[in-house]
Amino acid sequence: MNPLHISILLFFIGLYGVINKNNLIKKIIGLTIINGSTVLFFISISYSEGGIAPIFSKDISRESVQAMVNPVPQALMLTAIVIGVSVTALALALIVKIYEKYKTLDIQQLLKGR
Amino acid sequence: MVLLSSYGEKNKMKSSNIIKTIAQKLFPFILLFGIYLILHGHLSPGGGFQGGVVLGTAVILLFLSYGIEETERKVKIKYLSIIEVSIILFFIFIGVFGMLTANFFLKNFLPLGRTGQILSGGFMPLLNFVIGIKVAAGIFGIFYILFKYRGEI
Amino acid sequence: MKNHLPILIIILPLAVGFFILLFKKYIIQLSLGAIFIPLFLLLKFSSGFLDGNVIVYKLGGWESPLGIHLVIDGLSFYFSLLVLCAAVFIVLYSLYEETYPSSYYFYLLLSVSSMLGIIFTADIFNMYIFYELLTISTYLLIAYSKKGKSLKASFNYLIMGGVGLSFFLLGTGFLYALFGILDLPSISEKYLVIFSANREMILIAFALMIIGIGIKVAAFPLHGWLPDAHSLAPSSVSALLSGITVKIGIYCFIRLIYGIFGLEKYLFIKTEQFYLTLGSVTLLFGATMALAQIDLKRLLAFSTINQIGIILIGFGIGTKTGLTGALFHILNHAILKISLFFCAGIIIKKTGSRLLQDLKGFSRREPFIVLSFIIASMGMIGIPSVNGFISKFIICSAAIEAGFPLIVVIILIASVITAAYYFKIIYLFFDLSATSVKINKSSRRELASLRIILGYWTIYILTGISVLLGVFPSLGIDLLEPAVMSILSNFAP
Repeated sequence: MNPLHISILLFFIGLYGVINKNNLIKKIIGLTIINGSTVLFFISISYSEGGIAPIFSKDISRESVQAMVNPVPQALMLTAIVIGVSVTALALALIVKIYEKYKTLDIQQLLKGR
Repeated sequence: MVLLSSYGEKNKMKSSNIIKTIAQKLFPFILLFGIYLILHGHLSPGGGFQGGVVLGTAVILLFLSYGIEETERKVKIKYLSIIEVSIILFFIFIGVFGMLTANFFLKNFLPLGRTGQILSGGFMPLLNFVIGIKVAAGIFGIFYILFKYRGEI
Repeated sequence: MKNHLPILIIILPLAVGFFILLFKKYIIQLSLGAIFIPLFLLLKFSSGFLDGNVIVYKLGGWESPLGIHLVIDGLSFYFSLLVLCAAVFIVLYSLYEETYPSSYYFYLLLSVSSMLGIIFTADIFNMYIFYELLTISTYLLIAYSKKGKSLKASFNYLIMGGVGLSFFLLGTGFLYALFGILDLPSISEKYLVIFSANREMILIAFALMIIGIGIKVAAFPLHGWLPDAHSLAPSSVSALLSGITVKIGIYCFIRLIYGIFGLEKYLFIKTEQFYLTLGSVTLLFGATMALAQIDLKRLLAFSTINQIGIILIGFGIGTKTGLTGALFHILNHAILKISLFFCAGIIIKKTGSRLLQDLKGFSRREPFIVLSFIIASMGMIGIPSVNGFISKFIICSAAIEAGFPLIVVIILIASVITAAYYFKIIYLFFDLSATSVKINKSSRRELASLRIILGYWTIYILTGISVLLGVFPSLGIDLLEPAVMSILSNFAP
């Protein structure tokens, strides 16, 4: 059971949360779980057994460069985390406005009163 | 004990003296750690986004422990949006400056120093600094608006 | 200047948008300038693109496959021209509709800049980032009026957009795991070698990316956000969404399918039949649902789903004629749908209600707007002399050539249903027997100011362009030639 399997499992757990839960905040949490699973997937691609962290310091030789893990997906995932944070923040601001107008956060009640 | 009064009333968050003192003493260290992360972004894990979030977290700690009105008096809020937008324009200006001098957008135009020093790696420290300020202002702005209005605009 | 063309076109609306947010003066002049200057630059160097030259720009000077490249070839040129021209009309109409504050124009310029970023980039992860930026800025535009229903619609849009783009990101992850690089031309070079080794992984990546982009394009099972989002937004924003933003998803489809996955034409299923089925189901579904609507803008939103189905059918056919028809239909649908939404905006402003039954007798008040609506709906149905007929005819003849006669029957049935619901509206316009002509009290006294002239004349100019393209279609098809040639050669440089 390597990290790739776990990331796909987390993806489907998050998807279940977005689809099935009735509270709006639980849907946002599901979206955050989906983002987290994608980050885990990318990072576990670039992992190699017994690798060291890709930090460049004075005592780095050619062999230790070969043993480093791949740093490119880590940089990509930094951007993806930022995007996930901003989408979550915008959705939460919208939830505040919806609560102010409708006094409920339940999706069935919101759909009924359209 | 932090007491949150019920939604809808005009409320003041009360917190005990222990939390206020510890927050006040910890605040400069968290700021220092955030600035360290931003400056050493090209030498060790960290960089613009991580350092900016830590800087934003420091001010959020003050919000949580002291309450909105007191923190508003100490931290100048009205310059927040001006700083945010002008920092982005500065970033685009750096890119355009790279275009004018070295013929590609965002190409390096500062000298590369010796590896392992802070002032090395071209304009990476400058970009990290810009992104750090922008992220700190952004996180601070989000939490400020969410705390202050509490849904009662 | 020619070397820096791609990055200047992307950066200029972005920088001017931030500038508007900072100094809240000269909003209108700056935003119009931010769209006209890239348009002018694009047109000045257009003769090179029409001959088939390609500009490749390396960001930061990093070579491939490490760096991010911006590419202008025939397809990017066509789409960016479409986006910039439509943005001009949308900014002019927003002036008429209301006095919007500076943040509205900032979001508008941000969305235009992110669309240009998606069009010009040649790197999959960069495409994902610009697409997320587009989702966020259009979400802010939909929720602009802060009424209750538009808040619910934009929340729906944000969640579905977020989930869809996460599927796209996961597909990108699979592609990165297989190829090790993220640059589109380099991936297409290595594709055949790696495809023969791991077929299942490529199929999973293909399925994930198709689901992700399918949510943004509003293909049949994944269309649930579109009627609410497009109908509950302000009218200029609805025109932006229906006219251009949906087409950006189709652009991503083309780049991925014809650039990477199409090189091996049959993965496990025939890709052409997949698109034909998807397009036909979307087409019939959109047409049928539109017939049952009582709200004007919701009807137009379902009509968008209708036409997207026709474009997907055009891509499914895959021959040169089919691709020409589909790309031309993208242009025609953008022009027609933008003018229809602008007419709907004026109607809603004058009568104060959005329901169809309150449109009775509108032709007595605004005869020219009704005339523009009639011409635009003729184009959507496919009556000759307006440009919609030309593109539908090209797609039908491509279907007969390639041996799918059932498709022509489906398109004809859908055109009949389209005619039914548009004629219903037109009949209501001319229903002079009704006594309940709603008059909005606030719009009684309107002086002929510049804003009102702008609002009406954008509709007239768009209708004029559609009739012009209907009579002389070669004006549009000449623009498409390099795009179709570059698609068919699988974007080989």
